[in-house]
Amino acid sequence: MASSSSSHQGEILKFAPLQSLVDAGFWRRFSSLKLDTLRIDQSPINITGFYAPCSNTEISNHLTLLSESLSPEPSEQSPEVEFRRGNRNRCPVPGILYNTNTLESFRALDKKNLLTMEAKKIFEDICSGKVEEDSAVLSRFLLISFADLKKWSFRYWFAFPALVLDPPATILDLKPASNMLNVEEAESLAAACNEWRNSSLTTGMPFFLVTISSSSHATIRPLKDWKVCQGNDQKLLFGFYDPCHRPKNPGWPLRNFFAFICLRWKLEKIRFLCYREKHGLADMESSLIGEALISLPQEWRDPQCIPKAVGWETNIEGKLSSRIISLAESMDPERLAVSAA
Amino acid sequence: MVFTQKLHEAFKGTVERITSARTVSAFKEKGVLSVSEFVIAGDNLVSKCPTWSWEAGESSKRKSYLPADKQYLITRNVPCLRRAISVEEEYEAAGGEVLLDNDDNDGWLATHGRPNETKRDDEDSLPSMDNLEISEGRTIRSISSYFGGKDEEDIPDMAEYDESENLIESDPATLQSAYLVAHEPEDDNILRTRTYDLSITYDKYYQTPRVWLTGYDESRMPLQPELVLEDVSQDHAHKTVTIEDHPHLPGKHASVHPCRHGAVMKKIIDVLMSRGVEPEVDKYLFLFLKFMASVIPTIEYDYTMDFDLGSSSR
Repeated sequence: MASSSSSHQGEILKFAPLQSLVDAGFWRRFSSLKLDTLRIDQSPINITGFYAPCSNTEISNHLTLLSESLSPEPSEQSPEVEFRRGNRNRCPVPGILYNTNTLESFRALDKKNLLTMEAKKIFEDICSGKVEEDSAVLSRFLLISFADLKKWSFRYWFAFPALVLDPPATILDLKPASNMLNVEEAESLAAACNEWRNSSLTTGMPFFLVTISSSSHATIRPLKDWKVCQGNDQKLLFGFYDPCHRPKNPGWPLRNFFAFICLRWKLEKIRFLCYREKHGLADMESSLIGEALISLPQEWRDPQCIPKAVGWETNIEGKLSSRIISLAESMDPERLAVSAA
Repeated sequence: MVFTQKLHEAFKGTVERITSARTVSAFKEKGVLSVSEFVIAGDNLVSKCPTWSWEAGESSKRKSYLPADKQYLITRNVPCLRRAISVEEEYEAAGGEVLLDNDDNDGWLATHGRPNETKRDDEDSLPSMDNLEISEGRTIRSISSYFGGKDEEDIPDMAEYDESENLIESDPATLQSAYLVAHEPEDDNILRTRTYDLSITYDKYYQTPRVWLTGYDESRMPLQPELVLEDVSQDHAHKTVTIEDHPHLPGKHASVHPCRHGAVMKKIIDVLMSRGVEPEVDKYLFLFLKFMASVIPTIEYDYTMDFDLGSSSR
């Protein structure tokens, strides 16, 4: 692998935050769930978000909520779950929804604490080894909302908890994968990535290990095969599905991957692969390979510690704030009756 | 909604309920697809263009004549960096006219041009279309508060309340950027990057695929369906694009009305055959999506044309 000095060298690595997108179908199903089942119950519920590697040089991919993000309605049968597995364009991300019944209680939510609770789950899953079995739990999200079903308006706010490395990771190098690999390596890596993405068994695993042998042959393995990947002079890359399109920044999921790597495997110098696609296929021009220095924060040595986390989503002006969507025109039975008349 | 359109929908719904789905192939003769051909063509699209996938949709809306896990096709987060309406203005200003079917151009429709072909089709009288009048302007309900926006009088002004007072996320590793979107036009301050979810359903009545559009603005909030029309070629905006209930997804969505799809596809197939190319039914959706690109020229969905389709005139 060509290592050359980079102008970024020694700078703090900056990660592009994940962005949310909510399909109106999600709020529709949530509304019926609330009216029929939850009613005034404010207990948090588990939901599933979906994302995929970026497939476009112009725009990033989003964490998307669909009607299927809520558990299927009781009337629906179990095959539903099967259909959702193995869809390459829907890599699942576990999330939790705190819905409140009043605006006051929405405002009163302790946002800092809620974020910390989710970060703690990630921290525990790293320490327990659960992440090696199911790498999807390394990314989590939190959604708080106030669903006003009288006005059919929904106030909501996402957080994508990221464990904060202190001191932050610094860049040694970061370039398009095609610049960091020779032609054979790049072709072999692209083929291996396409195979990984096409298999229904592995397409839902957003974090993985890449080894490239001295004969330029690339192999991808799940995190649990860590031991096999060491030694033998092979190059090792920590790969992840990168939703970000930016040529100079990795996307958000890499943050918790770094936390995982330094906590679990005690590494300090990491080569990583930001895996991106073009027309749905591996693209070594937009995928990035980088090298970073990380160090384990002192307090993380205590398994009981409360890790520092960030990740509340900002609005389009870059401010920390909730969003509102009104679906009155399309959901309010009275208005629908009027427009149908 | 226009009464005649409603009437037609009711009629169409009844016909769909009482007739069985097409099983005999007629794609070369009529440009239409049987249900099994739709699945074959969809499988091929998903395998060649993996940004498309099959979905099961809501179980209550499932069509029994399609496999449960292959009810419709969808591609999400498709960029639309410019409005079709502004592209057409530029195009007209340049005085260009895209030629159809010339030998130097290996396609019969130019992706970013307006096909004369479909225009001529408008004048043909096609079966089953005579009684469907989608009158201009009125099909699109004026939906001022369909999504977001105008309905917020009752909600206390959030500016008075600083939500982020106990949230200070100073973190040097977070990329701070007001606009995490693509490059934006420099000449004004209006963000234009929209994204679309495009879905393709099987229309049993017309026996063709049908395209549906769900749009999001640059802040990733749902677009009012009437704004979707800005991304539709103006030849089609108020004629062939309607706002209707999606057969598998909740709510109303903009859709390219399939009433002429069979006829246009038949013409495309005829052009291919006149060049000595034997069209294969599994490539139907690539041809179809290329034709759709004339209706929605700035929505950059995938439809690879790398393999041999109509180039054997050489």
